[in-house]
Amino acid sequence: MKTFVCIKYVPDTSEAEVKVNPDGVTVDSSRFSFDINDADNYAVEESVLIKEDKGGEVTVVSIGPKQSDVMIRMAMAKGCDKALRVEDERIADHDPLMVARVLAGAIKGQEFDLVFTGCWADDDGHMSTGVALAEYLGVNHASMVKKVEILDGKVKAHRELEGGLMEVVELELPAVLTIQTGINEPRYAPIRGIRQAQKKELNVAGLDDLGIDPAEVGSDASQVIVENLYIPEVESTAEFIEGEPEEKAEKLASILVKGGLV
Amino acid sequence: MSTESQTFTEKYDLLGCIQCGRCTGGCPVTVRADLNVRQFVNDAYDEEKLDELARLAEIWDCTACHTCAVRCPKGLKPLEVLIGLRSMIVESGKVEPTVRDALQSVLLEGNPWEKARATRSDWMEGLDVKIAEPGVAVENLFFVCCTNAYDPRVQTTVKNLVKLLNKTGIDYAFFPDDESCCGSEVFTLGEEGLFEMLVEDNTEYLNEFTAERMVTISPHCFTTYRTHYPDLKNPVIHYTQLIDELIAEGKLAWKGELSKKIVYHDPCYLGKQGGIFDEPRRILKSIPGVELVEFERRRERSLCCEGGGGKMWVESESKKERLADTRIKDAKALGAEIVAVACPFCVLTLEDAMKNLGYEEEMRVAEIMELLGEIVDL
Repeated sequence: MKTFVCIKYVPDTSEAEVKVNPDGVTVDSSRFSFDINDADNYAVEESVLIKEDKGGEVTVVSIGPKQSDVMIRMAMAKGCDKALRVEDERIADHDPLMVARVLAGAIKGQEFDLVFTGCWADDDGHMSTGVALAEYLGVNHASMVKKVEILDGKVKAHRELEGGLMEVVELELPAVLTIQTGINEPRYAPIRGIRQAQKKELNVAGLDDLGIDPAEVGSDASQVIVENLYIPEVESTAEFIEGEPEEKAEKLASILVKGGLV
Repeated sequence: MSTESQTFTEKYDLLGCIQCGRCTGGCPVTVRADLNVRQFVNDAYDEEKLDELARLAEIWDCTACHTCAVRCPKGLKPLEVLIGLRSMIVESGKVEPTVRDALQSVLLEGNPWEKARATRSDWMEGLDVKIAEPGVAVENLFFVCCTNAYDPRVQTTVKNLVKLLNKTGIDYAFFPDDESCCGSEVFTLGEEGLFEMLVEDNTEYLNEFTAERMVTISPHCFTTYRTHYPDLKNPVIHYTQLIDELIAEGKLAWKGELSKKIVYHDPCYLGKQGGIFDEPRRILKSIPGVELVEFERRRERSLCCEGGGGKMWVESESKKERLADTRIKDAKALGAEIVAVACPFCVLTLEDAMKNLGYEEEMRVAEIMELLGEIVDL
């Protein structure tokens, strides 16, 4: 199996205080700790488990700064074979479609059976990159995958759906799977393994190196414009609407109209 | 530090063991887990058996309290055989997620608590803390410890310490927030490579600062620096030694009485590993009104709270009574109103036990600095 696994270096905002920069459209990340995106960590583990079972090669692809090399080396310490880190300021990386285009540009033209991504990113939570990547690569995809079975020329993917439903689909390879957390138990990357992984190939490329037209992945091509970021104000009032369903609906509609919400 | 070419038998001097049983005879964990360290020392001699031994769950029951090492007539450290077996699992990467996350956090953020490095000094907010500068000599140079820095429950220890230091006017400074974990728990969890890296990097960092002595606040940092950092240029002491000196010099002014019955719990890393038994007791006895009582199991025989040996991140499979519960029951039987300790891990484990047993109304667990903060004029 030849697998690509796409990973993202994200801030841990679970406990940290989030502050919007004076520009109003970016977040002050100076006090955050950064690590591999949680779901991507499971994607790495799944790719390594498949390699250990079926043989083959796993390539890490990531768009990010030099500081993210430690995350990439950790993935290689766990068993990934080589890596490509794309770094280019011209990428409109707030837009999952632009990110997917860059990832597709990095992967396209190479032979592969599977591409893994995490099912969502902890920072922007779009849940779109993996699916868009499949479209740009022109291959099948399954999202929110909680179990993977490799068949002859196919992959059986167990998808976790709403309400606890599990959907099982078979896809012709090559395919993109977006991996849901909990599919496995990601292993630890011991420091000795990380040191040994220094010998593995980690290429750094810009858009020009990959033959990607900056105009197609930059802010001009993006249809997403971040206009304003703000911390939602904590509201202290809540109103419980009493009555029969019809009364409740009427009262609710009245509140919405008065509030200018409809 | 061993070299890769050493065999397991050579590294842990297994042939030095005479199978006398002093280790197992003192191991506090045996009452609640199947751990038999003597058997591990015996069986690990067979190199072909190592993988099988490393997969046994009980290797993670050891709290690294060092009772076995203290009692060993041959000067061996049986617990380190268990740490060696843990290393094999760590190298395979297949450790508990909690262990994985703690170790990774030490590598990426310099602390095992998955907290951002940039927030390490947030505890200082609102306090006038003197910060050390490389090359500027200071008498007492303080190393805060990851747990004291980040855990709100034990931050009181360092906050009170700063107020007390400012009040006495002694020459002191704390390391800036680029200090990293001492690696105590990294060592006992068996991440040899990461521990070697920490020793190397921390030695270089800590030696940039000049002090008459480096004062540690957690016994885990205290013992780790003294035992595993051979090239530190500044001598290492525990803060209770400093406070003991200050009291002897009459530098603390009491603002009232603490009329309580207090029992002191010897932390393993301070007592049986660091040889500090008397200073904490002298501090407590000097507090006006305090009646100090003693556990039957005290000093070198002190019962471990199970907070060391990486156990903050590994849950034992045993469902039998936790040693911390036993300790708190013993304290209650003595009629103690306060269980005083001088270790952040002991505070956390013993307080959990106290709450678990429902003794909150009649008893409290307190770090010595917490008590001083209440009774010293700051």
